[in-house]
Amino acid sequence: MGAIEIDPSQGPADGLAAVVALRRLADLMEDAEVERAMRSGWGWPQVAEALGVTRQAVHKKHAQRLIAAGVDLRRR
Amino acid sequence: MVTRLAPDARSLFASAETEARTSRSAVVEAEHLLLAMAARPDTDAGRVLAAAGLTHDTIERALAQEFESSLAVAGVSVVVADLPRPSPEPPRRLRLGASFKSAMERSVTAAKGSRQIRPAHLLLGVLGAQVGTVPRALHVAGVSQTELATLTEQTLSR
Repeated sequence: MGAIEIDPSQGPADGLAAVVALRRLADLMEDAEVERAMRSGWGWPQVAEALGVTRQAVHKKHAQRLIAAGVDLRRR
Repeated sequence: MVTRLAPDARSLFASAETEARTSRSAVVEAEHLLLAMAARPDTDAGRVLAAAGLTHDTIERALAQEFESSLAVAGVSVVVADLPRPSPEPPRRLRLGASFKSAMERSVTAAKGSRQIRPAHLLLGVLGAQVGTVPRALHVAGVSQTELATLTEQTLSR
């Protein structure tokens, strides 16, 4: 337990919650936009470059989800 | 001493993962466990939530409102209902988030001396968070976290 009384719904808690919410929003948008790009025929190298991450990173993060969603990922 | 998970507590874990997938989160957090409890009014935890007026629907709406108002702090205006709905992660690929793990640790502590960890122990664990999404969503829902925890303890001592 901290020594000070913390209000979870104002002050620094608001700013920190904003950080959490922004990360969640970014993750959600990444999932949606990577899926859109791959459904439009993009390759992993282009998606990776557009996101500014490595091809391995983007593949590791999204490949299984997109395969489960029925996106054809052969020869990308 | 190893405290075992009661069967209905165990089944809440699977439901929490489903809640996380439904909300398109790659991580199972404490709020997903809370949603799972609210969907199970046949458990001790679900009864406490129902008695406080917290249904699955009210918690979901409180979480959406918390998300929107937290984004507004950063100047981002978003309506949850209009957000994209990407395909979810396949089952059993989700990670356990920090808020979920902390809730579990508190649940184990709360269940010390009990034969097994019941859903109400899990609820106590979730309600033990001082800050974060769950406390903020409960505040939005107009529910006192302290009173809810007291109700849960009373259920367990019965």
